[in-house]
Amino acid sequence: MERFQYVRAASIPDAIALLNEPGLVSRPLAGGTDLVLITRYEKVCDRVVDISLIPELHQITRSRDQVVIGAGATFSEVLENSIINETAPLLAQACRLVGGPQIRNMGTLGGNVANAAACADSIPALVCLDAVAAVITPAGRLEWPLSELIVRPNQTRLPKGGLLISFSYTVPPPGSRGEFMKLGRRNALAISRLTVAALGRIDSRGCIAEARLVPGSAAPQICRFPQTEAILVGETPSDKLCREAARQAVAEMTAITGRRWSSEFKEPALEAMVYRALCTVFNLCQAPDGRPQ
Amino acid sequence: MKHEIELNGQPVSVEAPADISLLHLLRDYLGLTGSKEGCGIGECGACSVILDGRLVNSCLTLAAQAGRRSVTTIEGIRGPDGVPNDLQQAFIEYGAVQCGYCTPGMVLAGEALLAHNPSPTRSEIREAISGNLCRCTGYQQIVDAILAAALRRKEV
Repeated sequence: MERFQYVRAASIPDAIALLNEPGLVSRPLAGGTDLVLITRYEKVCDRVVDISLIPELHQITRSRDQVVIGAGATFSEVLENSIINETAPLLAQACRLVGGPQIRNMGTLGGNVANAAACADSIPALVCLDAVAAVITPAGRLEWPLSELIVRPNQTRLPKGGLLISFSYTVPPPGSRGEFMKLGRRNALAISRLTVAALGRIDSRGCIAEARLVPGSAAPQICRFPQTEAILVGETPSDKLCREAARQAVAEMTAITGRRWSSEFKEPALEAMVYRALCTVFNLCQAPDGRPQ
Repeated sequence: MKHEIELNGQPVSVEAPADISLLHLLRDYLGLTGSKEGCGIGECGACSVILDGRLVNSCLTLAAQAGRRSVTTIEGIRGPDGVPNDLQQAFIEYGAVQCGYCTPGMVLAGEALLAHNPSPTRSEIREAISGNLCRCTGYQQIVDAILAAALRRKEV
């Protein structure tokens, strides 16, 4: 017996209608890299609604300082896109580090967010860009800052029958520099042990005008680390300052999660990654061994 | 449901369940056993096929998702009269095939790369096959074979 039925949506309104057809539990199917696996051991729906061929969901557009990415854009489409590479190279870098080529050709930003794994690679980059997620429901359009859409690992505020359609962000001001780093057991096809997304800008006086830091796989909710950012803003970038910020990031992680079985590994690893990322963002020469101590 | 696919350039129509993977459809309903099931969860690349020009894992793709789309499997990669094509020939010459289980996926990863990038560097080749595991060769021979095929195609 078939565990579920399949139907293909031609457009966003078509997908909303199919997802909300009475008497059937339907789930949107984008890249399938998570959902197809889950359906093998769990009854998740009566029918999958394939949204992967809806053209609007793949569009990436820029209008002045706003960039909108269709939630159905695959990691490959994002990392190859000129708008993304010009306005948010850190997001392109995050997408480049997802899985392997096959997974990047299949998996989508929307799927990564809807699945909401704590180790998702694109989410820290999107949160670092202060991305806003747009959702269409039968009742209308809803928007959430991405950091608020995801409640905890694998749980979002996405309403039943709603469809995540896009992410938008404001292009960081000129002079901004971003960095995305991933630590896994190997380069390809590795689940992130830790990631760091960082974005910063130095003003005309040589002081830090803006600093954003978002560690991934570090806490149940992927969010900016405000206390670490506060240490940086207004200061002149220096090796010492980046070391201090890296220590603060570890303290902030521990304050959220408490000390866990993985802390012995994650604390020194996060400290080194934040230090290195900030050195890159603020164009500093990092210590030869890359160690912050 | 009825699955209608453009498979290796030919229209194919077959009745099969809606919930099976493309790999399952290829192997068990269409008798094309070149695509292999290694891990079944998208980590080994042995099931790789080219779907509308992009390399994908057929174990994680629903057969229905390939409906009315173009699929290339290893059976569709061949030279004139069914002999190995230049890339497959390079795999033979460079000792890039040992047990052979990863080979169909590796050849398709190589073809997908060369279709988009006819002059890859060694590093780009390594990146292109990073979603395909080989437990025999140590990869060097596979990288050599893809590079040799790329150079030969440029000469033609």
